[in-house]
Amino acid sequence: MNHFRCHSPEHEFSRRQVLGTLVGGAAGLGANGLLNPVVADELKSQQKSVLLIWLDGGISQFESWDPKPGTEFGGPFSAIPTSLPGIHVSELMPHTAQQMHHLSVVRSMCTKDENHSSGVPRILRGDPKNRGVTYPYLGAAMAKLKGDSQSEIPNYIWVKPGSGGFIWQHGGFLGAEYGALALGDGKPPVHINRPPEVDDVIDQSRNDLRKQLNARFRNRRRGAEVNAYESSFEMAEKLIRRKDLFTDFTPQQLERYGSHHLGRHILQSKRLIEAGALFVQCHSYHWDTHADNFNMHLDLVPQIDKPFAALIEDWHESGMLDNVLVLLMSEFGRTPKINQRMGRDHWPEAWSLCLAGCGIRRGMVLGKTTDDGVWVDTTEYDIGHIFHTVFGAMGIDSLGAEYHYNGQPLPIAHEDCVPIKELLA
Amino acid sequence: MPINRFLFGVLICLFSGQVWAAGPLHQQIDQRIESRAGGQVADLASDAEFLRRVSLDLNGIVPTADEVRTFLGDQGSQKRAKLIDRLLTAPEYARRMREVFSVMLLERRKGTTVSAEDWNRFLELSFAQNQSWDEFVRSLLQADAANEETHGSVKFFVDGGRADHDQMTQDIARLFLGMNIHCAQCHDHPTVDQFKQVDYVGLMAYLNQSVSAQHSGLQRTFLVENMAKAKVEFESVFDVGNKQQTGPRLPGRDEIEIPAYEEGQEFSEPEKDGLPGVPKFRPRQLLAIQLTEPSNQRFVENAVNRFWFLMMGRGLVHPLDMMHEKNPASHPELLSLLANEFVNHNFDVKWLLRELALSKTYQRSSIVPEGIEPQDVPVESYRVAIAKGLSAEQTGWSMMRVTGVLEKVIETPKSPDAKFTFKDYINGRLPLPDNLSDTMLLFVSVFGNAPGQAEVEFQPSMGQALFLMNERLVLQWLSSSDGTLVKRLESESEATKVAEELYVNILSRFPSDEETAELVKFLDQNQDHRTDAISQFAWAMLTSAEFRLNH
Repeated sequence: MNHFRCHSPEHEFSRRQVLGTLVGGAAGLGANGLLNPVVADELKSQQKSVLLIWLDGGISQFESWDPKPGTEFGGPFSAIPTSLPGIHVSELMPHTAQQMHHLSVVRSMCTKDENHSSGVPRILRGDPKNRGVTYPYLGAAMAKLKGDSQSEIPNYIWVKPGSGGFIWQHGGFLGAEYGALALGDGKPPVHINRPPEVDDVIDQSRNDLRKQLNARFRNRRRGAEVNAYESSFEMAEKLIRRKDLFTDFTPQQLERYGSHHLGRHILQSKRLIEAGALFVQCHSYHWDTHADNFNMHLDLVPQIDKPFAALIEDWHESGMLDNVLVLLMSEFGRTPKINQRMGRDHWPEAWSLCLAGCGIRRGMVLGKTTDDGVWVDTTEYDIGHIFHTVFGAMGIDSLGAEYHYNGQPLPIAHEDCVPIKELLA
Repeated sequence: MPINRFLFGVLICLFSGQVWAAGPLHQQIDQRIESRAGGQVADLASDAEFLRRVSLDLNGIVPTADEVRTFLGDQGSQKRAKLIDRLLTAPEYARRMREVFSVMLLERRKGTTVSAEDWNRFLELSFAQNQSWDEFVRSLLQADAANEETHGSVKFFVDGGRADHDQMTQDIARLFLGMNIHCAQCHDHPTVDQFKQVDYVGLMAYLNQSVSAQHSGLQRTFLVENMAKAKVEFESVFDVGNKQQTGPRLPGRDEIEIPAYEEGQEFSEPEKDGLPGVPKFRPRQLLAIQLTEPSNQRFVENAVNRFWFLMMGRGLVHPLDMMHEKNPASHPELLSLLANEFVNHNFDVKWLLRELALSKTYQRSSIVPEGIEPQDVPVESYRVAIAKGLSAEQTGWSMMRVTGVLEKVIETPKSPDAKFTFKDYINGRLPLPDNLSDTMLLFVSVFGNAPGQAEVEFQPSMGQALFLMNERLVLQWLSSSDGTLVKRLESESEATKVAEELYVNILSRFPSDEETAELVKFLDQNQDHRTDAISQFAWAMLTSAEFRLNH
């Protein structure tokens, strides 16, 4: 299922060639922007990955994917045509508008929870039915279903502003080892450099002793804490071997993606995916615009528009987009009604999200909202549908596959939902 | 088996209607835990495990090798109770409580308006004197900057990120009422009927006149109160236009009338020293009194729940700030018992901690009984002790003690003009920290949470692992240098003795025969660099889960 991860030297070589030499330069690109056929085939056979770009707090669908200019709730911004004939998006997204033929946008999301505190984890866990167990986040689920525990790059990485750490709670009932490696501000921890007196032999010896002690201590105890602690060391060892992933970005890259947090974090996520990470979640905060919604979106939307469009274009040209599923979303949309503070509040009833890449049909807008943007006017899709679709695009049979937890079979995605066929390529 | 479950349910019903035998609180705790354990409970922890656990919980540091040997050698039947009493009267007790409550109350926010020294003095004094919990919370909320001994309490407000009244309201609700009412700022809680927007606004009405002001004479920040003249108006974002209003009101209580004074009669003291006049009506002072009344069940239950969490590793209500009908306590009758008894004992913190520590529930082993799968024992059953992660402070103190550098670090004075910051240090701009305050700052920077994030769960991070692997300071403590454990052991020729010393010093217990043999073999294999081998083994123990967890 995963040729690259067979660790055959040829694959290693091809991949290094592709990533190290060809991507980023025009050397391997033909006149039409496609990779030469041999390399492109090689890329296609490689592993599939997911990049989830998360706009925490809730981007307004009116100011992004589903503009309603000139209507009661439309707000001050206009809509612009896109590379998809007849499809318009907000004028705040001119770069993304030019990439629409690579994207699938769902305008008919209708979910349940209007709270951040419960809504964020609920959406990121796929809102499973309450079964008395805590479901894994999407990244942890993917690490379980598609991950390689021997991978040199952690399966589930979380690039986020603020502090980093190992967030084992994301693993839910799957266990701590499926948690997220959070890279605070996208940076590796400072202690990635080993002092010269600790050579490879010493390092191996002391870590073997440590593991031996932990194995004995774990015996007949609840394993969660020990496993989480052990995982944190395993990750450290892996990361030490891949320090090269955190070198500075070039001025050209920063110019193209933006030198702000989100631009850098998308660049960092891109690098991690290209190096073989299975799932990267890239968070941006401060989208909760209860007040001053329009000025805030005027400031914020360009910060996602430019790097997102650049990413899609770059990955299309390199062929990576065939292997990476990119998901751009929030926990909900924002209210049609504009409050007295010129803000929009939480609105799970009718909102939009975007998918692109691996296994996803290109150039597609699914569903529509009523003319005033208040309600979904076509079939409503819940987060469960999106989980099924993402699993399906990754080649996982979401209707058949089950987790087994304490002897209990559990569906991997909400059993009342199915994959959205229209979205699947 | 359905029938067994049915019978079990009947038993629960019978028990819940039963009148419990009276006795010391710790026995009543055990009755209530065991009656609904749902399976076999673990044996009591070994003496070594108990000593380490209770030393960490009550004194914030692992025991010395001498303490381990003395306690394990003691044949007295009351030795656990005596140990608890000794730890509760040791000077380290106040320090440990200061660390615990500083983390809980400030959540590692980094404001510097009030010095850490003043804040620490306030906390340590309070716990050293065993101030009752209600009185402690009152002094925190009163924030009396004029009091020479306790003026550091003002830090809770002015440096806790609570300059804004919404943050103040939310944090007081979370920390003292177990209510996370963040979303009630804009509307009633959508799923928890108990959390209304009026609760939020009512609580805020006690606080929204509190602002910082600078006392010109004392050069100190005061938290003064402006004149409260009117109720606070609000509306739900889901019901715009429907204006409501409330004066100060505690959740579930009656609203307080804002008194009207004739003009010129509103103040009890005129403005002076750069501070505004003191109004006769001061809602925050009222809050300090009303919130902490014994009849305020939420306040009492939140307090005992947090002390329970501190000792047992998980709240009876968990998460701690989600105390509401949709998230009931795992043992509701136990929560009420603790609350009632805490009130009956006048909020005596040491008494409560002592009773918790005396309970078998606290003293149980973290090892699951034979024949039971560890994952089949629900955490909230308390049948097996819950492993707690060491806090940043516990980690720092304990690592210094077991490597043998603690005394030296304490004795080394901090150079008055050198300012240590984590950022400068990790960027190579500063030498290794050698004194206590810089060293602790380093540990807190690595092992503490980011500012504003409560420290409840064990969250080991890769950054911490990298620190333990590669930080020069840690490696120096484990090297053969002046006064370290490794230095002492390198001249010990008998390998079994080296094994015993390493285990007693670092893991606070004697090694098993298997463990001794393992170490003897390792030293044997590494005869040509024996000191390095001892150092590597010490490193492995220091970075083991057994050390990093309070189990």
